[in-house]
Amino acid sequence: MMVELLLIVAFGGSLLTYVLGKLSSRLRNGFALLNALALVIMIGMLYGQEFERSLPFGFLGIQFSIRMNMLSWFFAATILGIGLLAVLYSFRYMKGKERLDYYYFTLLFINASMLGTVVAGDLLSFFIFWEMMSWSTYLLISLRGGGKAIFAGIKYIIMSLVGSLAMLVAIVSLYTAFGTVDIGELAVHMQSASLGLALLVVILFSITFVIINALWPFHTWLPDAHAEAVSPFSAILSAVLVRKGLYGLFLLMYVILGFSFLDRLAVGAISFSNVLAWIGAITIVFAAFRALLQNDSKRILAWSTVGQGGYMVLGVSVATSMGMAGGTFHILNHCIYIALLFFVAGAIEHRTGGIRDLDSLGGLIKKMPVAFVGGLVGIFGLIGLPLTNGFVSKWLIYKSLILEGRPFLAFAAFLGTWGTILYGYKFIHNIFLGQLPDELRDVKRVPFTMAVPIMVLVVLVFLFGVLPGIPLSVVNQVGTYMGFEPLDLNVWGIPSESGTLNVVNLLAAIAVAGFLVWLLFKTLGRSTRVDQSDNYAAGAAIPRGRYGFTREFYAPLYRIVSPYVKDFPDALFLWIADRTKALGGMTRKIYSGYVGSYVMYIVLFLAALVFVQLTWSPW
Amino acid sequence: MRIVWLFLSPLIALVAGVLLLGLSRKIMARIHWRYGPPLLQPVIDIIRLFSQRSASHGILFDLGIVVSLAGSLIITLFLPFGNIAPLSGSGGMLVILYMMLIGPLGIALSGGESGNPNASIGISRNLMLAIGYEVPLLMVLLAVMTRYGTISIVEIVRVQQASTWSIASWPLVVSGLAYLLVMPAMLGFRPFEVVQAPQEISSGPMVEYGGSYLALVSIQHALSLYITISLFVNLMLGGSGNIVIFLFKMLVVFVLFLFVNAVFPRFRIEQAVRYLWRWPTLIGLIGLVLVALVGR
Repeated sequence: MMVELLLIVAFGGSLLTYVLGKLSSRLRNGFALLNALALVIMIGMLYGQEFERSLPFGFLGIQFSIRMNMLSWFFAATILGIGLLAVLYSFRYMKGKERLDYYYFTLLFINASMLGTVVAGDLLSFFIFWEMMSWSTYLLISLRGGGKAIFAGIKYIIMSLVGSLAMLVAIVSLYTAFGTVDIGELAVHMQSASLGLALLVVILFSITFVIINALWPFHTWLPDAHAEAVSPFSAILSAVLVRKGLYGLFLLMYVILGFSFLDRLAVGAISFSNVLAWIGAITIVFAAFRALLQNDSKRILAWSTVGQGGYMVLGVSVATSMGMAGGTFHILNHCIYIALLFFVAGAIEHRTGGIRDLDSLGGLIKKMPVAFVGGLVGIFGLIGLPLTNGFVSKWLIYKSLILEGRPFLAFAAFLGTWGTILYGYKFIHNIFLGQLPDELRDVKRVPFTMAVPIMVLVVLVFLFGVLPGIPLSVVNQVGTYMGFEPLDLNVWGIPSESGTLNVVNLLAAIAVAGFLVWLLFKTLGRSTRVDQSDNYAAGAAIPRGRYGFTREFYAPLYRIVSPYVKDFPDALFLWIADRTKALGGMTRKIYSGYVGSYVMYIVLFLAALVFVQLTWSPW
Repeated sequence: MRIVWLFLSPLIALVAGVLLLGLSRKIMARIHWRYGPPLLQPVIDIIRLFSQRSASHGILFDLGIVVSLAGSLIITLFLPFGNIAPLSGSGGMLVILYMMLIGPLGIALSGGESGNPNASIGISRNLMLAIGYEVPLLMVLLAVMTRYGTISIVEIVRVQQASTWSIASWPLVVSGLAYLLVMPAMLGFRPFEVVQAPQEISSGPMVEYGGSYLALVSIQHALSLYITISLFVNLMLGGSGNIVIFLFKMLVVFVLFLFVNAVFPRFRIEQAVRYLWRWPTLIGLIGLVLVALVGR
């Protein structure tokens, strides 16, 4: 009953939150938090269970069913964990804004429908939950109102609908072929399916999942959506919602189709996995350089989400235990540090009166230390420095790519990381370092309820970085469920043949060396604190307030790179949208509103019919 | 014995790095027809700097330097040094690659907090230069790792010891050429001396450092010279089973690039990046394609 109860609590809780909000806002906030907490506890209790069950009702004669296994559990846990933190974070962030009942309702509803997609046991209920998720996401992206937010929402929903339609066609063709949409049964039937049907289904599903996972060339909805959404929702969007695409790919590639079938889907060197891997590689490099050109704190993070999706796909498409573990682990890691970074960007936005422009910030390390620590640790995780969680998953992905003899894919992955360093440092520098502008002298610290989620995630980044064995044992079970050999693990790292990863050595070395250098520094160094304006200007006096160097931080690089990294897919899609609109405008001219014109159309049509009949006499 | 080496190898690296720094001033002076400072001048400077007072701009200003130096000290444990590599078992090349980031990032964070625009410009140039040389460098490293089918640097050295140096073997000779071309940029030598550029941006990231800060940054600089050259010797020149020969190889490589440094003027940062993304990248790409075609 547990999973049914989970869904009931999730959906019921969101509705009840809305109703309670009409009574009192405190009651609503408290209930929303309790609801999110209850869901986290319930999913914790479901750990390790594996079952599939039919529900007592269905639709169009198709029985609904739900399933719980490590794959579902893994995704459900990330959804509910981030959901809880986002709800807590929202209290102060959303305070004083309009339509809050609606906001909390939609937020919880999205979480509930995402949960639905991962526990759905048949493709029809999967599709229904998927649609609920798409529509409610659209509503929340456009929450702020105004031209830009509506545009971002429309952009998202159109691309999402294209994906949904592709998925619907795929589901219908599976149903007509096998008479069932149950995932477990399909997995059996697919082994005897014709190659043509399999190819059709794979391509259609891939379109859906690539769009929602925001991989190149279908990434274009994501940067706008993230920039326009409110920050707690950006965190959810980036950390878990986008990754539903990967859940879909897992389901498609390893649960429904399976290895042997995937191998058959190949023409020479062009196989499904290869195409997917190259899409991932292009996404990584493209997104890294696009992120470099951004000047909006949330847009940088949005592009990094696009890029990190590429790493996961790379790991998954290598299809070795190690690559798979790396890809799956990276989903979890990315979800932690990107939520952290969006929370930090949101905190800055909240305290500075909505500034996201990286040219107008600076020096906030002295004013918002918690946000700084969060931002720094998040960026370290994003880069994947040793002792952060991102390091372990990226290490696994790199190693599997190198050992599988795919140096070009590995190169793309490495290059993306080095791009990350550039935009990551820019994010830190332009917000927290450099000169504090006079306008920001009175900025306050991060409020407590916003600082708690930030600190929780900071701890998780280090915990999973130093003790990667804990999350990796879960990841291992996910891999085993999909039919991979489990990795050999211990708590500290991955002991294996030559290139062993042992994080405890790293930790000890860094701790000892850091301590020794610090001791040297403290015993020998004598320094006095000086003000930020007390600077050496090499004889060239610069007026106060002109002392920050943030504008166009990498100007020479922009000049070199910008002609090559235009967002062509975005331009193409916008062009198509524009043409469609123009076509609509032309069609509308037919309906002139005069009866005379309509009579003329009818007469002309009849005349054409008579002409056709007289000339060729087809009837 | 391993415990001893854990502490000894960073120390040897430190001494070697500082001596290289002193030697570089002497050799540069002789090429310029000057007499030059004594070999131990950097040591004297560091001792003097530690005795001076200095200004601090905040906690990160202090911590960045400490982390940077600590990170650089640790890499020496992962790089095989002669036949000694105390920690090279922990993750191989990939860990070294990532650990090499800690040094520059620490300085970047520390310099960033100083709030001096010259420091910020220097850091921005440093990061741009880094992505400039990382593109060809990563191709070279991937070629080497793919060729030997391992990510363990000890393994790479062992294979070279058993056969020939990478740079003398087909097809890695092409990658070796690309590596040679990016080495000056990695060492921060002219014509790629854009980061410090004392005449333009008053030593860039270092502008606000004095006293013990400058001392620690100098030590970090010496170590980073050691690390860069040691990586080259290990990957391309076959490392060595003997510490003396290893250090000798390092010396030869260092002096070679010092000659380049002595006679060139400075690129602008754009010119540097364009150059690095043109010739070394092209050669590196050819090297990687050859390795992918030839296989193991």
